[in-house]
Amino acid sequence: MSLFLASLGFGLVTAAVLAIAAVGFTMQFAVTDVLNLAYGAVMIGSAFVAYWLNQAGVNVWLGLLVAAAAGAVASVLLNRGIYAPFQRRGSAPITLVIVSLGMTLIIEFGLQAIVGGTSVSYTMSQGPTVKAGGLVLTTVQLVIIGLSVVVMAAVHGLLRYTKLGKAMRATAANRSLARNCGIRTDRVVTVTWALTGALCGVAGTVLAINDGSFGATSADLFLVVILAAVFLGGPGQAYGAMAGALIIGLATEISAAYINPSYKYVVAFGVLLIVMAVRPGGVLGATA
Amino acid sequence: MTSAQLFYVINLLVYAGVDIIACLGLSQQFGVAGITNFGFIIFQAAGAYTAAILSLPSQGANGGFQSYIGGWNLPWPIPWIGAMIVGGLVALPFTFLVGRRLRGDFAAVGLLVTAVMANLLVTNYRPALNGSAGLSLVPAPLQGEYNPQSQGYQWLYAAVTLVLAAAVYWLVRRVTESPYGRSLRAMRDNDVVADSLGKNLLSLRTAMLVLGGALAGLSGAILVGFITLWAPSAWGYAETIVLFAAVIIGGAGNHRGAVLGAILVPVAFEEATRYIPSIPGKPGLVDDLQWVAIGLLIVLFLWFRPQGVLPERRRRTAVGRPRSVMPNEDVVTLAGTGPEPRRSVAVRSVPAPALPDGGPLLRTVDLTRNFGGVHAVAGVSIEVRRGTLTGLIGPNGAGKSTLLAMLAGTLPVTSGRVIYAGSDVTTLPAYRRARIGLVRTFQLASEFKRLTVMENLLSAVPRHRGDTLAGALRGRRYWRGDEEAAIDRARALLDRFGLSGYADTYAGDLSGGQRRLTEIMRALMAEPAMLLLDEPMAGVHPRLARQIGAQLLGLCAEGITILMVEHELAIMDEFCDPVIVMAEGSVLATGTMAALRARSEVVEAYLVG
Repeated sequence: MSLFLASLGFGLVTAAVLAIAAVGFTMQFAVTDVLNLAYGAVMIGSAFVAYWLNQAGVNVWLGLLVAAAAGAVASVLLNRGIYAPFQRRGSAPITLVIVSLGMTLIIEFGLQAIVGGTSVSYTMSQGPTVKAGGLVLTTVQLVIIGLSVVVMAAVHGLLRYTKLGKAMRATAANRSLARNCGIRTDRVVTVTWALTGALCGVAGTVLAINDGSFGATSADLFLVVILAAVFLGGPGQAYGAMAGALIIGLATEISAAYINPSYKYVVAFGVLLIVMAVRPGGVLGATA
Repeated sequence: MTSAQLFYVINLLVYAGVDIIACLGLSQQFGVAGITNFGFIIFQAAGAYTAAILSLPSQGANGGFQSYIGGWNLPWPIPWIGAMIVGGLVALPFTFLVGRRLRGDFAAVGLLVTAVMANLLVTNYRPALNGSAGLSLVPAPLQGEYNPQSQGYQWLYAAVTLVLAAAVYWLVRRVTESPYGRSLRAMRDNDVVADSLGKNLLSLRTAMLVLGGALAGLSGAILVGFITLWAPSAWGYAETIVLFAAVIIGGAGNHRGAVLGAILVPVAFEEATRYIPSIPGKPGLVDDLQWVAIGLLIVLFLWFRPQGVLPERRRRTAVGRPRSVMPNEDVVTLAGTGPEPRRSVAVRSVPAPALPDGGPLLRTVDLTRNFGGVHAVAGVSIEVRRGTLTGLIGPNGAGKSTLLAMLAGTLPVTSGRVIYAGSDVTTLPAYRRARIGLVRTFQLASEFKRLTVMENLLSAVPRHRGDTLAGALRGRRYWRGDEEAAIDRARALLDRFGLSGYADTYAGDLSGGQRRLTEIMRALMAEPAMLLLDEPMAGVHPRLARQIGAQLLGLCAEGITILMVEHELAIMDEFCDPVIVMAEGSVLATGTMAALRARSEVVEAYLVG
């Protein structure tokens, strides 16, 4: 039983990290129509920004904010410089996916050329261990869960109660119709890249914190887990991604406790493939 | 040359052959059939592992330091043949991803994920394929009889590899330069439209996945026979990206481009960078920059030269050459001898089964389609009588296009029935409806852009002997007769619609009106008994619109039944009888335009809606 509870705790933390990443990814896809596979590369790039600050003596939680900004700037630039020109030219969605894979190589290995192939860690304290209801978590893990809850609430508030959120949903549903209704879709798209880029930066940093050590290509595998959560919830569905993240996070960690931990991601992949085969529109979440 | 240099040259030749075979397989999937297989490397890996475990002795007899299944110690060429078979079979489970249901980019992501997962599984599971360490000491082919270290053997190995590469080139050319290949390219350009013209997408995609998989498997077998080891690090998902870079740079859809790309990227580029000295204190820097360069090459080529170094060739249909003017007995001469003789050779249609009472060719019973909570079409029951040009009008959002899509099978119905020629076709997929003569066109431009006008027309020909994989493999001689007949029919249609001068123009380069005509001609090539036209005159010059209308009336006189969605009331007045009026998902009225104009609710629906 304690094994189960321990893995449940890990599952919640993984789900928290995954939720931030998956919600950012799915909103990015919904509004901008780019299946941006370079998302993982931007995550790790942002994590390194926090790392460099951390090395210079800045607290990692402060670094997290800067990483969010870095993710936002990088994502906006990625769109302005690469994706938007391809989209304006009328390139097929699949061309953009290939371009985003190319950008993944450029960003990840460009970064690796700078930082080298070895893994690094933040200098930080894990804080005292907290026990609650049989769960054993470090303070840092609790903070990550709390942060994720706050981010989810903020996303919910944004989508439901703000004009920007409405404009984003309208743009996601039908960009040309939204434009004809007077929504400045170009600006909505740019703001979306900034917001989801910030989520991407936060996700990269908390992933790095949670994993303990990370390198330039650490997000490769995690990107696939993000995709699993996104597709489980239905591509483009923010609430679906949240639910997908929770399910995938728990499933990977709990299965890791009972089978070979090396296979824990295989569970996520299996879920993704089954979802794609059976319900290409996603299983969870009807609207977002 | 020293023997080391010679060995290096042989090495390069073998690698080139292996990469050429792999790139040809990928080009066939990606460039010709439009399947973005991000998991391509899995198939090469499957072939390599298969060849390895077929040719290795049992694990006990091999020193016991590695564990693997199989170990049958089989002589060449059985391991290579086995590799091709397994490479092809591995493709079968993937067909559910690239079937009709999933968007192309989603399927690509699914395949990428599968590649990562497969690598992870093999890396971590040692008993089957020796895990991350991989298999080593794989016997070279016929190493019992010959000495694999001898130069003669190595030259022979390179020669066999290159001969196989040439054979593969010949094979994929034969498939692609056939009516079957034309169907593949049509599917690549627009799969929904290809489906509506009678192409079985699932079967086409499955065949290409299996063919590409078998070729990838062969390339893996050749490679493992030469380097004698194979491990998960050799087939990371990123290796697929290298092959994609090769195909994109060389020219997707052009097999010579795939060969060039294979030589340029995985061989020349990776070998050239090997000589860059590593910078002290920066291990792996050159490797990293090499990946960056691959990424840059992909992005830059897709931007500046998306067609690649060697673009896909335009297929011309021997314009200048004298063609046989022998009347083909297959072509039914319709419409007799009017004042314009060129109209006479025209449309061959599926003889619609004679109905005893001359009843409707198509009817629906309570047809309904919901999108979420919206009733786009709500309980529509209509009849379309044989030989009529029936109009379907209604304000925006009335459900006309949705109705048409359900009739053609492009969109599944929520409830209700579609009865065509007396039989219930409600659950019949679109391509099967097209094959029994129920053919649609689309509201949005739907030409196959990278096919010429002539190819667009030919792509729709049903029951073409060359339009199966087996027929394509049997060669031109087998299907030339059908092709010539089809070309004659297409020429007659081009004459009739005044587009003879555009036969060899890419459909993507036509004007809006010409595209409309091309689409109608293409639908006619499918030998329809009934045409479902979705705004065939939208965005067309009024004069051309009236010409199209006249042509459609001519088709009806020849026995074809037409249901046409149209916005322009003047067109309806002139050509359509009867006319069905829809509003808010339901049928409002049916009758002649004159009668409808007298009914206030119809006028109101138009004015208010």
